[in-house]
Amino acid sequence: MVPARKNITSMVQQRKEVRWLSFWLAGMTALWAWDALFLDPLSYELLQAAILNTFCGAIVAVAAALAAGWGTALVLYFFENGPRTYFFLPVLFIVNLLRSIPQIIGLLIGYMLLNFFMENGLMQFGAEQIFWMACVIGIMCSPEIIDLIGERIAYFKQSDYFHAMQCCGMKERRIINVEILWKSSSAHLVQKSVSLFGSAIFLQCSIGFIISVGLSNEVSLTNYPVSLGGLLAKLDSKQDILAIGSALINPSYLPHLFFQHLQGVSVAAIIVFTLLCVYHIADGLIHSYDL
Amino acid sequence: MMQSSYNISIAKHSRQLVSIKNFPLEENRITLLFGESGIGKSLIAKALYGILPPEELTVRIGNEPYETYCARNDVRELQTNSFFVFQEPSSHFNPLLTLRSQIQQVQAAGISIEPILKRLWETDDRRMLDSILNIYPKPYRPSGGEKQRLLLAMAFMKIERLINQTKLDARTLFVFDEPSGSLDDHFRNVVLSFLLDKFRTRKFTVLLITHDYSILSALEREAADLRHEIFYKELSMENNVLRCTDFVPDRYLNWLRAERSARFSEQPVSWNRPILRVSSSVEVFGRRLELSNESSCNQNCALELFPFSMAYLKAASGVGKTSFAKAMMGLVPSKHLHLQLKNVLLTEVTVKKYKEEQLWGKRMVMAFQHADEALNQNSNVEGTLTGLPVKMSAAEIRTIMKKLFGSNIEDTFLKTKVKYLSGGQKQKLNLLRCLVLDTDVLILDEPFNGLDFNSIVNVLSILKEKQREGKGILIISHNEEIFDAVISPDRVYYLHASPSTM
Amino acid sequence: MNAATVPSIRSLLESDALRTILFNHFVSILFVTLVFVVLLAVGMEREKNEREQRHEVVGMMGALRNIDFNNPTQKSLFRETLDIYYQHSKARNDSVMQAIDAYRTEQYTNKVYKTGSAPRELSWQNVANLLGMYVNFIIVYLIALVVSYYATQALALYKFIQYKQQTSSYLIRALRQMRLSGETVRNGNNPFRQIERCAGFVLKACIKGGAALMLFAPAYIIVYSLKSTVASGEWLLMIVLAVASNGLLINYAQKFYALLFAESRKGYVETAVVKGWNNSYSWGTPDGIALRSLFHWKKKFPSHVLQHIYMNAHYQYIPTMKQYASFLITGLIVIEMALNIQGHLCYELLQDILYDRYEMALLIIWGIFIVVKGTELIVDAWFAYESAKYENRI
Repeated sequence: MVPARKNITSMVQQRKEVRWLSFWLAGMTALWAWDALFLDPLSYELLQAAILNTFCGAIVAVAAALAAGWGTALVLYFFENGPRTYFFLPVLFIVNLLRSIPQIIGLLIGYMLLNFFMENGLMQFGAEQIFWMACVIGIMCSPEIIDLIGERIAYFKQSDYFHAMQCCGMKERRIINVEILWKSSSAHLVQKSVSLFGSAIFLQCSIGFIISVGLSNEVSLTNYPVSLGGLLAKLDSKQDILAIGSALINPSYLPHLFFQHLQGVSVAAIIVFTLLCVYHIADGLIHSYDL
Repeated sequence: MMQSSYNISIAKHSRQLVSIKNFPLEENRITLLFGESGIGKSLIAKALYGILPPEELTVRIGNEPYETYCARNDVRELQTNSFFVFQEPSSHFNPLLTLRSQIQQVQAAGISIEPILKRLWETDDRRMLDSILNIYPKPYRPSGGEKQRLLLAMAFMKIERLINQTKLDARTLFVFDEPSGSLDDHFRNVVLSFLLDKFRTRKFTVLLITHDYSILSALEREAADLRHEIFYKELSMENNVLRCTDFVPDRYLNWLRAERSARFSEQPVSWNRPILRVSSSVEVFGRRLELSNESSCNQNCALELFPFSMAYLKAASGVGKTSFAKAMMGLVPSKHLHLQLKNVLLTEVTVKKYKEEQLWGKRMVMAFQHADEALNQNSNVEGTLTGLPVKMSAAEIRTIMKKLFGSNIEDTFLKTKVKYLSGGQKQKLNLLRCLVLDTDVLILDEPFNGLDFNSIVNVLSILKEKQREGKGILIISHNEEIFDAVISPDRVYYLHASPSTM
Repeated sequence: MNAATVPSIRSLLESDALRTILFNHFVSILFVTLVFVVLLAVGMEREKNEREQRHEVVGMMGALRNIDFNNPTQKSLFRETLDIYYQHSKARNDSVMQAIDAYRTEQYTNKVYKTGSAPRELSWQNVANLLGMYVNFIIVYLIALVVSYYATQALALYKFIQYKQQTSSYLIRALRQMRLSGETVRNGNNPFRQIERCAGFVLKACIKGGAALMLFAPAYIIVYSLKSTVASGEWLLMIVLAVASNGLLINYAQKFYALLFAESRKGYVETAVVKGWNNSYSWGTPDGIALRSLFHWKKKFPSHVLQHIYMNAHYQYIPTMKQYASFLITGLIVIEMALNIQGHLCYELLQDILYDRYEMALLIIWGIFIVVKGTELIVDAWFAYESAKYENRI
């Protein structure tokens, strides 16, 4: 068998995820350059901060989901298969409970708790808020990782894989962590992380939007770090998005979108374009790694 | 007239899976195709039959793109008249349809399945057959052997239809891919004689892919009259080039005779204490499995494995040989297990911690039958041996590797991912992982799975070396002919399920 | 399937698997209900104490109407009077002064007074109002669930068939036409035909791209690009948004597609092919797929291998419905909250959080939890029934 030749052009041609990642990077760079040229400096600064906050938040959320998911899945496995089986059901019960709470409700509860801590001086406003909110998103998304890891372990336990290694004297911890999860499931975990990145962006934008629109009596942009969702909820951004509809009805209005309504249109474009690209990158990974 | 040789090329993305020139296939003859597993036998057969997915693979047959080949009238005619019996029967049934409805889907109008099933099951008990046909197929029910016979029954429906057909020059290709993979020798012979009977009635093209070399002895007995209509071929890789050469059955038959006579000339060694003793009956997954040292299974006896010896555990397909071995290793829950390993008694209540620290990989080891499942496909060859309680030096490991793989072991090979190895190489690696461990007892489940004839000879010589080192080896295999020739009959055990728990 | 093999629901109900599922769900519901009741009781008790304290202060303020607490002299005189009359209750006097200060501050800062929103507490009237909204929420949810169950499968099947047809994307086809037109010009012919086709493909690519962007866009972006407000009676808009926006439809269609894809590689598909079942994925040909069969409620592909693939993919898709339900509800909540649709359950929830009416918020969250649990229970029972049938247990 001849291994595949790897160069950038063939990778872009053959691998959907590389194609879409390049497309996303190119799109974001073009948008950034356009905004740098035509968006007013104050909004541009705000937009940059919003992008940074949202994307960093999403990365933290994915990391938190991975850590919480991996840890919980292992706890569940070793409780189920170890001597302390009586701990298994309560942990499973909590995980199932978490699964039954719609994510946005979980985020609202998390937001209420964070607000309580902040009001009581237990937490600082600013970056710390984004970090903890991202952790809440991560925890709400962690059942997906728990399920994935559980499925992978179950899949290998069902076949002779697990027993074959076990009876050769390999330690169970090594079989699970190294052989099953690290060597045989890293592609699955990467793919899931990419798709969770999309979910985290969506949830962050939604909670940011809801907080800014619905809970704006308590939270304003001065005490809550600006996010893409929050920026979109600003009145001028809403007007900008409304202009998209006008441009659809009256195409001659289209050029105005790229100059006069740049703030809202940019935010909306970043959100939608990122979600679209992340979906295709995750889909490409499925095909490339035969998942 | 069907062409007698094909140039076939199959690639996935930019990776070449198979490339062979002049693959021979005689029309209206039987071709037996040997070769180590994963070398491309099934892919070639599927390509010729026209069932490879064009959206996933780039296939060329001769100078034609695959779409053109599949659209050819003669290929379409071939597909209408023929059948392909796939290996691994379990995955080839739709789990959401009853077996009866799946058999009814075979397009063989006017052909009744009943006489075929009766012949393949050697029974007239219609109720028993109904009880199989009315269920949804599951991995454990019906047994692998029964599923295999059901797939074969579908092929025989098509053969019956062909026999009834008036058109005499119809193009055919009946592919039997490892048809005896899940059958014991008895039912393998039943199927073979049924196929030969039909072939005598009307000639059709058969491509029989197998690793089961004992089929050669059966053909020597049963098909002497068809000597000129049966061709023996072997696929092998030479200097990275895939070739199909003639296989001479006498190579195997003579070797077998030599092994038999070597066993008879061996001096029997008697030992007072066995290295391993297993109670005569063990309950696994609700089924009571009993041991006997006579094929009639009239009297149960304990299994005893002595140092410097090899024992052989036989059973009909689906009885639970592997489950029994797993129970011995303490890998699956069991009842009434009493296993004496030298001076240590192990039972079903022995804790996992003890097995991890004292038993697995230290005193007992087991090689599983499916190397594809047993090995980490994403690990490399070197990585397969990490994390084991190995006591051998790197040089010793290289020596045994060299013997198994039959060539110098290069660093690039050690860094190769398991998934890129051929099936035969995987099986050797699977065995190697057990052979490098210094355990008193080795249990080998179907050690010759996926190996070509030369590899079988190599592996057997390594096992004999291990035996000479004082190890006790228990073989589980459906390859009865070879192990009956190698292992003394007083070391053969028969496993059967107690009728009350069936 | 004949009558003798039709699985009986009774035997399923007697099976341990279903009993365990039901038990787990009921314990979960019971546990959460208990937690909510405790939280509700604690909240109501706190509310009651605050109300009593407020009544006391309000009563006192009424009796002391002539004192101007804005005037520091009058305020300190009042404090001294208290100390004279209640010499041994200094701590009590302190708390009375604090209560008066807090009451007066609240007159200026309370969100309820600022916005004019009526203070709302847990009363039968309010619960009845909520119940109406809850029923509406469930109706919208159920309709959206059924529509998306149908739509995800149709979309996934369409994508799968397109994959099998190996159709290139519109942009690649447009590029091919452009290349062809170049060749036509070099040959000295009029390339109008190719340019026309190229333009057609570009237009189709734009429409497809626009549709894809819509499927990924959060509901609030779609709505605010069309209108500035959403009225409470726009149920159809809500259902369409719930099904098609927030990436829900596309993501779950992808899950179904992944199942179809995985199943298409299974051995039984090969067996179906060699049995003589149709294996062509061309639209409308006798051995291909009829486009209309994709839009049927019960999808059937007679004598085609897709029938085998579809039924197995569908069986495995059933448990995904639990996850789907939870995400659909998240989508609905986002829509109702972000679009500020008054008179809707989740808008009320947001208002209750905003105005610290936590008892009401808890009640709504509990109601939503019950919807999710109810869906999970039905899906699990459905899957248990199907599994029992295919595992020869009933």
